[in-house]
Amino acid sequence: MLQILIQGMLLSGLYALIAVGFTLIFSVGRTLNLAYGAYLMLGGYLYFWASQSLGVPKSLAVLMAMAFGVVLGILKFRLIVKPLKGDHIAVEISTLILAVVLQAGVILIFGDSSKILLPIVGGVIYVAGAPVTYNMLIATLASWTILLSLYLFIRRTDIGRAMQAVSMDTKGAAICGIEPDRVNLITWALSGGLGALGGVFFASYTQLAPSMWVGPLIISVAVVIVGGIGSIIGTLIVAHIVGFMEVIVVSVLAPELRGVFTMGLIILVLVLRPQGLFGREEL
Amino acid sequence: MGLRWFHFAAWGLFALGLALLPELVSKGTLRTLIFANYLAIFAISWDLLSGRTGYISFGHPFLIGIGAYTSAILTKRFGVEVEIAIPIAVIVTMIAGLIVLLPALRIRGSYFALVTLAFMELMYQLVQVIRPDLTGGTRGMSGIQTLTRGAVNGFYLSSVLMFVIAVAAWLLLRTRIGTALTALGLNESAVEGSGLSTTKLKMFAFMASAFVAGLGGAFYVHYLGSIAPRALFDINFVFTIIVAVLIGGASTIVGPIIGAFFLTFLLEYLRPFLPGAERYFIYGGIALLLYMYQPKGIYAMVMKAWHSLHERATK
Amino acid sequence: MTHALEIRNLVKTFGGLVATDDLSFDIKTGQSVGLIGPNGAGKTTVFSQIMGELRQTSGKISLFGKTLGTRPTAERIRRGVSRTYQIPRPFLELSVLENIRVGFMPNSIWSMITKGPDKDREIQLALDVGFSQNDFEKPASDLSMGDLRKLELARTIATGAKVLLLDEVFAGLTTGEISQISGLIQDLRAKGFTMLMVSHDLPALEPLVDHVIAIERGRMIATGTFNEVINDETVRASYLGEV
Repeated sequence: MLQILIQGMLLSGLYALIAVGFTLIFSVGRTLNLAYGAYLMLGGYLYFWASQSLGVPKSLAVLMAMAFGVVLGILKFRLIVKPLKGDHIAVEISTLILAVVLQAGVILIFGDSSKILLPIVGGVIYVAGAPVTYNMLIATLASWTILLSLYLFIRRTDIGRAMQAVSMDTKGAAICGIEPDRVNLITWALSGGLGALGGVFFASYTQLAPSMWVGPLIISVAVVIVGGIGSIIGTLIVAHIVGFMEVIVVSVLAPELRGVFTMGLIILVLVLRPQGLFGREEL
Repeated sequence: MGLRWFHFAAWGLFALGLALLPELVSKGTLRTLIFANYLAIFAISWDLLSGRTGYISFGHPFLIGIGAYTSAILTKRFGVEVEIAIPIAVIVTMIAGLIVLLPALRIRGSYFALVTLAFMELMYQLVQVIRPDLTGGTRGMSGIQTLTRGAVNGFYLSSVLMFVIAVAAWLLLRTRIGTALTALGLNESAVEGSGLSTTKLKMFAFMASAFVAGLGGAFYVHYLGSIAPRALFDINFVFTIIVAVLIGGASTIVGPIIGAFFLTFLLEYLRPFLPGAERYFIYGGIALLLYMYQPKGIYAMVMKAWHSLHERATK
Repeated sequence: MTHALEIRNLVKTFGGLVATDDLSFDIKTGQSVGLIGPNGAGKTTVFSQIMGELRQTSGKISLFGKTLGTRPTAERIRRGVSRTYQIPRPFLELSVLENIRVGFMPNSIWSMITKGPDKDREIQLALDVGFSQNDFEKPASDLSMGDLRKLELARTIATGAKVLLLDEVFAGLTTGEISQISGLIQDLRAKGFTMLMVSHDLPALEPLVDHVIAIERGRMIATGTFNEVINDETVRASYLGEV
């Protein structure tokens, strides 16, 4: 029981971290970035390459991965999202294609087989007989810290408020002198960095594989859809619902069913309550 | 339907070309072409559902897989004759099409696309866990009865199937239902405001798509002789179908066929130079560029060229 | 004689806001009625309730003596009432004739597939509303506001509805286009269509209506002939004073 609780907390923290970058784009740009999972994959691989092949210190490698994610986010906005001028379906289709292209690119460089990532922080502590890796603990703490600072960033800073404004009413914000393009660019950059960071932790939790982008993408989708657009609190709550349910399903029913609850939740909520469980808050 | 001589000529030439191909190419290429035929069928199925109505399906293998699994299970586990198993598989797939229709009655756009993606992933997980004695679980099934022996027969069967489906779908969309479905994709409330039931129209598009998916899936599994969940309910498979449609030109039926053949040939001819994942990298790149700069696909380019040629000839 | 349209004690509230306040009126078959009122008086809300796009909070709407209840919009249209919108809703990528074709379509999938379009009727209607031969194959995205209004009117007529609700058909038009559409509405009257028209352009409305209803804040404040209504004290105070 305690074990479920601990594992649930840890996994949920990780999921919240993964989902938050996706939420950001969806609430500000109203676009589903289906290549979001690819940030995670690329972030994980870059970290792997830097720390395990080049021998760069781990903390620096994490920063490099994040910087790479930021660059990717900016490129994607400039090269794909902006030229398509807000045609959501077109953006979704092209980001889906992009994700598969990036996956192929990763296979090209790193090969098809999966790689084990050394934990960012080694060591294990036992809580009530349950092993907890420092790695997961750090991921959870990082996730909480990032979510909290993001919340403050959006509420307290000018850029954050501009993001809020664009998410509520793009045209209205533009009339008030906010450049939606700039805000979008910042959002995409931020989302890329957060995604890459989430990817490093996710990869060290599972493993590094070219197809690793699908799972986190679906989790992000579930969190955003079920939590309601753009609600950071909703993101946090639903990440915990999804994380806990997964841990419970795996330990009580069968490990193969781990994702069934998540899919079922997405379908049910979208069909019965398209606005999400926690409504449509604007960031 | 406004059929003209060149329509008959084009379809006739296409049929003739398909009939002669086994004489012209090697057995290996023929096997590739069989895949092109099935991909074309799946792409047409996707086009019927998503090409016009604007309800984008990211989970089309859900339908194809239900057709394939139903027929495979019926023949292998229950000894049902293939002639009976395939029609049953088509009916079951159409029932599954109703399940996909349900969310489409309430949600549109991105949300609908996501639900279909979730359907596919759900199916992938359930197939492995629920009754693995029937589905073969994670490893899938092999030794499923095949309909044809040899590449030539396999090619003819798939070609006839694809050709009949293509002509039927193409004719169908040239009738008023084609106009109504386009209208549905452009402005749903205005369709309702023209006195037409949007539910009925959506149901028709989804049923037609499921019919083709079920038929294609069932024949495909009886060509392959085996089935595995990861190969089927895979986002790469969705990607291939959608890219085939988009490269060729959505909502045209002819486009998806062009796209499917183009993609398969690209894969085939890149094989000697680029043996592995590079191919996906390159054709994904091509697809992305083409989609960004010519969203209407190859079909639109060909039509444009044909019209300018036609004008020059008549002047 | 049954009325084409009967509105009885219609009420629509949005939270605390009363958009339609105990509204009752009848329109006889073949009659043409103007519905006027200041901005935000709830004219379009009445249209939306008649069409079933909004569900009334209480009250009854009957068409040719039969109550409409909770029937969906498309079914109301097939029963004989159809509307245009202040902002036209064309199928932008379809041609003028194809747009009209959608209006003519029966609600049966089978007949959509087996029966081809009736080109002669489509062309006749397109000509009737004032399109020329050159416009037929133009996509709706290339049309001017005036042409879009004509197109929407044509599609509305094509549904076969005998009761037409026209929402601001003169808005955004040139004087030439106004007289063209006005002539068209006169033709429709002569053919026996029943009409309910919302318009801010009172001079354009005057020759087209037998009868006017003025509303304010969802409540009827005057009814009678055009001159009776616009000379009514309450109407002058609330509406004309504002203009």
